[in-house]
Parts: sequence; C-alpha cells; structure tokens
Amino acid sequence: MSEDALHVEDLTVSYGDRPALWDIDLNIPPGVLAGVVGPNGAGKSTLLKAVLGLVPRSAGHVRVFGQPYARQRRRVGYVPQRSSVDWDFPTTAVDVVTMGLYGTLGLLRWPGRRERDQALRALEEVGMDALADRQISELSGGQQQRVFIARALVQKPDLLLLDEPMAGVDATTEHRIIELLAELRRRGRTIIVVHHDLQTVQRYFDWLVFMNVRVIAAGRLDAVYTARNLRRTYGGQVALLDEPSTRGTDAPDAPP
Amino acid sequence: MITRWTVLTGLLAGLLVGPVSALAQPMVLGTTGMVADTVDAVGGECVEARALMGPGVDPHLYQASASDVRAFQQADLIVYNGFGLEGQLDDVLTRFGERRATLALAEAAAAQGSGGAIDGAGDFATDPHLWMDAALWSQGAAPLGEALAAIAPDCRDAIVARADALEARLQALDRWIEASVASIPAAQRILLTAHDAFRYYGRAYDIEVQGVQGISTSAEASVADIRATTALIAERDIPAIFVETTINPRNIEAVVKAARERSAEVSIGGTLYGDALGEPGTLADSLVGMLMHNTARITGALGGELAPLPPALAGRREALDALRSRDG
Amino acid sequence: MFNPFTDYTLQNVMIGAALIGVISGVLGAFAVLRRESLLGDTLSHAALPGVCIGFMIAGARAMTPIMAGALATGIVAALMVVGLTRHTRLKMDAALATTLSLGFALGVVLLTWIQRQGGAAQAGLDSFLFGQAAATTRADLYPMMGLTGLAIAGVALLWKPLKLMSFDPEFAAVAGLPVHWLNRVLTAMIALAVVTGLQMVGVVLMTAMVVAPGAAARQWCGSLLGMVVMAAAFGATAGISGGLISALAPGLSTGPVVVLVAVSIALVSLLVAPRRGLIPQWWRTRHRRSHTSTDRILQTLYELAREHGDWRYRIEEGAVDAYYGMITEPQLTALADRGLVVSARHMPDEGRHWQLTDAGVAYAGERHSRRDRRAAASR
Repeated sequence: MSEDALHVEDLTVSYGDRPALWDIDLNIPPGVLAGVVGPNGAGKSTLLKAVLGLVPRSAGHVRVFGQPYARQRRRVGYVPQRSSVDWDFPTTAVDVVTMGLYGTLGLLRWPGRRERDQALRALEEVGMDALADRQISELSGGQQQRVFIARALVQKPDLLLLDEPMAGVDATTEHRIIELLAELRRRGRTIIVVHHDLQTVQRYFDWLVFMNVRVIAAGRLDAVYTARNLRRTYGGQVALLDEPSTRGTDAPDAPP
Repeated sequence: MITRWTVLTGLLAGLLVGPVSALAQPMVLGTTGMVADTVDAVGGECVEARALMGPGVDPHLYQASASDVRAFQQADLIVYNGFGLEGQLDDVLTRFGERRATLALAEAAAAQGSGGAIDGAGDFATDPHLWMDAALWSQGAAPLGEALAAIAPDCRDAIVARADALEARLQALDRWIEASVASIPAAQRILLTAHDAFRYYGRAYDIEVQGVQGISTSAEASVADIRATTALIAERDIPAIFVETTINPRNIEAVVKAARERSAEVSIGGTLYGDALGEPGTLADSLVGMLMHNTARITGALGGELAPLPPALAGRREALDALRSRDG
Repeated sequence: MFNPFTDYTLQNVMIGAALIGVISGVLGAFAVLRRESLLGDTLSHAALPGVCIGFMIAGARAMTPIMAGALATGIVAALMVVGLTRHTRLKMDAALATTLSLGFALGVVLLTWIQRQGGAAQAGLDSFLFGQAAATTRADLYPMMGLTGLAIAGVALLWKPLKLMSFDPEFAAVAGLPVHWLNRVLTAMIALAVVTGLQMVGVVLMTAMVVAPGAAARQWCGSLLGMVVMAAAFGATAGISGGLISALAPGLSTGPVVVLVAVSIALVSLLVAPRRGLIPQWWRTRHRRSHTSTDRILQTLYELAREHGDWRYRIEEGAVDAYYGMITEPQLTALADRGLVVSARHMPDEGRHWQLTDAGVAYAGERHSRRDRRAAASR
C-alpha cells in the first residue's frame, strides 16, 4: 500500500478549556486535490497548523508521507491566511518568494542568482513575473495571495497546504488559483485546501473532508458530498440544499 | 487586666510625652553639614543640632523626602545656607518659612558688613558658597546666636559667648589659610576644581580659581567645558587639578587624559571638600577641619607650605599631621 | 579655529556617539519593523535600577559592573513583559508600559536613596538619566566597539532567520526556525544596544536612538538590507554631528543634541522621501488633480447619464470624487462656469449633485462620437 500523503491519528488540540480538534483520524492519499470544509470554528485552520507543528498537540500524531513533519519540511509547502504578515515590510515580490528557499540554504549561504531564477520561475507559474520587483505593499489582495502561493511552490513541495486561499480574492484571481492547483495535481502533487465556500466545492475538488471539531466524513467527493453529511457538519446552518444536485445516496432509514 | 482602654490611655500618654520631652531641648535642623556644624558650635548643649544632609551629599541636587519634611516639622528653628544652594529644597523652605523660625545663614553673614557676596552666573544671582571664606562666614555667628537665643532664652549668655568664640576661631583660621596660600609661588597659584565652589576662597586668599562646571552641579559638564579646561591647563601650565567628594571624578579624569594628549602633564592634586563635610572621625568632619584639609591639599599640590598652627586651631593638629603624613 | 578631528575630547565623543548610532540603528530597524519600538524605551528605563545596583556594588568608576547591572535588569524587564502578555490579559502595549514605569520608578527610588547616602559613590549617578558624553575616555570606547562589533556580527550571522521572523513569524515557524529563541536573542541584542548607549545618551532619551534611525531609513529603502544599512548610517551621522554641534556651542549637553539630530533626520525623511514622504505624495496628488481635465469629468457624467437613460441624471459630487480619487470640485465648478453642467440638490441628507445642461449634453455627445469614429478608424 502506497503511503498516504497525510496520515492523522487521534489528533486532539485544545485552546484553553474546549477542544478545537478532537480525535481526528484522517488519511489523505497522494495526488488528490482535497477540500476541507466545515462551519466557522470547526478547527479547519487549526488542523493545518497542527500538521505543521504551529500549535501544540494534546494527543495523537501526524505523519507526512510516512514520516513526522519535522523530517519532511522540504516536501511541504504552506500558504497561510493572509492576515499573519506585515504588509508594510520593505520587500519585493521576488524577495518574498526567495525567502521560501532560505530553509534550503542553511545558516551561512546567501541567496544568489540560482535562487533568484528559481523564484522568478515560481512567480511565472502564478502569473506574477511581470511584478517581480514591485514592493508587496503596492500589490492588490489577489496579487499578494499569488506571491504567497509562489513562495510555497518555489521549493517544489510534494504536499501543498493552503488555508482559505480564495478568501477576499476577486473572481478572476480565484479562477487562476484553482487552475494552478489543478495543474499541480495533474503533475502529481497532493493539495489540501481549507475552503470556505460550499457553493464551489463540487467544482474544485476531487476529495473532501467534512469536519466540525471531529471529522464527520472524508473520502472521494462523489461518495462524501451527501445531504446527510452536509446536515451533520453544518447542523441547521445550510439553508438551501437542492436534493437532486447531491450525488450521493442516503440510506433509506437515515434521519432527515 | 489590660483592657483596650488601658492601651488607649497609654498611647495617648505616650503621644503627649513625646512633645513634652522635646520641649526640654529645642531642636535645630541645619541643611548642609557646614551649616549644622556651625549651629552646633554656637548652640552647644543648649540645642540639639541635626544635619539634613550627611557627608558627601550634594546640596545642589538634594531632594526632601517625606521623613525630611517630618524633621522640618519637628524643628524649632530651621537654618539653611541660602542664595539658592539647596536648589531642590526651595519650595519646602519657603513653605516652612511661613510657619517656623528660619535663618538663611549665608545670607545673614553676607548682610553683616564688610566683604559681601560675590555675584553668581546663570541661574545664580549670587554665588552661595560663602563658607569657603572663613572671615566672611564668621560674620554669621552673631545673627545665628541671636536666632538660637530666641528659641533657648535660658541659654542666652552661653550662646552669645560661644558665638564670640566661634567668630574668633574662624578669624584665626582665616589668617592661617591666608598665610599658607601666600606661600604658593605666584605662577602656580591657580586652583582648578570640578565646579565653581571655591570663588570665595579664591577672593579671600588671593588665588585664582577655575571650575570645570559652573556654580551648580545640576547641569552636566559639556564637551565645551572639558575642552576649555584642557586648553587652560595647556596654556597656563597648571600642575594640578582637584577632585571633589560630591562629584563624579570622571570629568576630571577626562580632562587629565585630554591634557596629556596635548603634552601637558597635569596630575590630580587630591580630593577637596567643596559642598559637603567629610565622614565623622576625619579631619574634614567640621567646617574648620574641612577648610584646613582643603588648604593642606592645595598648598601641597601647588608647591606651597602650611603656616604654623595658631593656638585656636591646635585641637586639630593631630588630625592635620595624620593627613599630611598620609601623603608621604 | 580648531580642527575637530584632532581634538582628543571631541574625537572620543564623536566616535562614541557614532558607535551608539550604528548599533542602535541596526537593531532599532528590526524593532521598528516588528512594531516593538516601545520595547527599546522599556529596556532603557528598566536599566536604571540595574545601573544603581551596579553602582552600589562596585562604585562610580567601574563601568563594567554598571553595564552588567543595566543589562541584567533590562533582560528581567523583557522577561516580565513576555510573562505579562502570555499569562494575563494585558496586551503588548500595556505590558510594556507597566514594566517601563515599574522599572523606572524602582530606579528613581534607588537613585535617590543612594544620593542620600552621600559620598563619591553616588556622585554622577544621575548622569545616567540624560547621559554624560563629555567625560568619555578612550578606555570607554573599547567596550563600546566590542559590543557594536558583536551586534553587527550577530545580525549578519542570523540575517536570514531574523528576516523571516520579522516578516512572517508563522512561516518562520513552519520552516523549522526556533522562533521563541530568536525572539529572545533579538531582545537581548536590543538590550545590548540600549546599554551601550546609556553612558552617553542616558536612560530617558536612549529610546529615540533606537527608533529614529530605523523609522527614517524605512522611508527610503525597499529592502531590509538597505534599510538596516541606512539606519546605521543615519545613526552614525546623528552621533557625529550631535557631538560636533554640542562641542561648538558652549554649555550644550551632547546626548540630547544627538537625539535631536536623529529625530530631525526622521522628521525630514517622513516629509521628503520620494515614494513615501508626505510632500511628494501631496505633490503627486496635486499633479494628478491638475492633469485630470474637465473634459474627462464631463465624459464621465455623460456616460453615466446615458447608462441611466436620463440626460438629466443627477450624480452626487462624492461619487465623482471617488471615481477619480481626488476632490473634483474645481473642475466641476469650471464646467458650470462654461455652462455645461449645473448643480442641483437631490435628497436632503445627501451632498451637492451635478447634472448636464443641454449644452453639456451636446458638447459631450460630440466628443464621444468623435472618439468612437477615431477608434473605428484605427481598427
């Protein structure tokens, strides 16, 4: 059996007195474009952060391609939510992307021409090469998001984690991003996206994780995107559901 | 049985006993050590003389604490230097001046007759360091005697007698210093100190004085001050510069090093007592002793000789000898 | 006229102030970027009790125990700030202000207590409040050079981690950097910068040396390296010119003059720097305004009216301002003078509106079709 891109077992994370994640079991195979959806406060961002070691684990473990994350750093790219960065920092787009390579350089080597070329190529992939020398404070929201994706891509990761990449971004940029992700998936990368918009889930992803502090359901989109799972995840929160558009079939005795 | 009434009565009695016992001997609070020492010399056992500032405390910078204000309240007479020496105590002294008997000793001495105060510079209308001129300071003995007699009337005769004795002693000291300083060769008769505390000494005993800083230590020595002093040393070939007990010697050391760069060899002539007395048990623990110490150091460093001690000062001969023998 | 560069005292003062400018510029650049400017203030005020304690132990002439004491209490203060933010509900600014006040008050209590004891032991202790630059000797310069060299070496060695951490701490953590340790190292280096400058600039004003060169440099540079180098240059300039000015004029304290120069550089940078300065920005807006022709604004009104199918369509002035990103009232008034638009009111709670006159419709229509014909011809 080929190893999963992401294997999570018994993961529990708590901030204070309530758990943000509880008893998470998850196996995401390589080569999928997976969406993670759930209501606000479901712990979706926390899941990514726990995988990356950004928040302490109360219980459970995480394996990336069979190894603990710490040993696989080079193979994982992360695109955080945009809010954690200082946008007035004196730096250009290509400089930000080059920072993604610092991990490969070690303490004493300085980034040179080779690194700059790699960064420019990553910017090309996201369509930002023309703005490479622009200060990031002068970029629009969508452009900034693309620069951050380029930063995650520059080290050619096998697993890409994105936290709400489409939030606050215009339609054109969203389209570009999802196209890029699809292309990456075609090239064999594994992509996990925390996504906020239920309306587009079916179009974008081939694998889905429903979660709300616990994993409600996870698997191929066709199998998992059912009315029942939607109800279980969102409780009473999903108002409009066209029954015919859900491709799964409910068991006859499932609760309404 | 000890009831709460007993305790309360005891406390009340104690509170009454306190002030009653204080009535036994009037307390006089002097600000600087020099002032307090003078009060003690004139008042003797008739009053309890206390000093607000101990040895080595800089009066230009001293600020009153809560316990100091309490001491002010308990005093029957407050004696201070005046002419702005106690820069940070201005408010407190003015306020107490309205409620208590106070005496500005330096101002009283200057008002008395011959001599008079020297004009100051900057914020100082008058240079307050009057105690450096023994004869001028002695003019304050009589007014001080009057003020003390006012609060201790039973002791009037004794006080007046002691005031006269102090005046005589200070006059003898004055003559001794004059003679000693006169022995310094004219070319070397320059007194270079950390701040301008010695102008009265200079005027009274015919020696030129310069300070690195101005009259008050509250402003830092500027680069211009250091350079001016260094230039002076180089021009006039001054052999010695003096440190003061209340001032950080860093400024003087900086001047010495700068002068050396200009190939002017100046040495540190010793420590002088400018704005405060010395520790108890040393020669400089009284006003008279302080001036004797300074004169010994100054003449020693500048190539002069001490005049023979008059009988009025004989009591300090031992301490003086000890000081001089330490120099080797 | 003396030559300032050969005068021994002035040399020491200028070199010392320049060193302080460099070390506080370099580390202050990071503090400013990380929004930790107040940290420098807290560290310098909290150094006062350490200075007093060092003084009490070793006396006035021994600088090393005094500096060690200042560093020790500075670090205690930094730990206290971290502890307060992590374990209580206090935010960073309140934690910094609390620690600053506590440290400084403690320092003043110790200071006045020592002053009452008297003796040369206390003499000159209060010079740490505002610095006493004039008494700097060659011997004082050597530890300052050492500390500055150490700080520069530290920053150079840790350049990539510091840059990552200042820009995006989360990314830095993901990349495996020990973010907490790096934070502590940076804080310790800022404390070192503060302690180096205490003797010359003093506790109260040292914070300006940490903040001003970095803030000034930010205005000119688009890269971190440029900003740090420029901050060092500004700091050194402030030090050297401050030393010179205070020496030439009689009775000026060196520390405060150095700070004045540094802050002036920062203010000038805020006003004048080409991209971010206030004056160039104002100039660009004015330029834009005078070049946005009345014709274009008339066209906008025309097209909007056409879209709404009403030649008398009223558009609020605020909407026109928003479209052009500037105040358009002068242009609209000019158009009104030419009889092409007229002002009107619409709703009582709205502002002034504008609508086309017949002449305006005709004028704009003609230009519009002329433009269409030109565009069709060029295809």
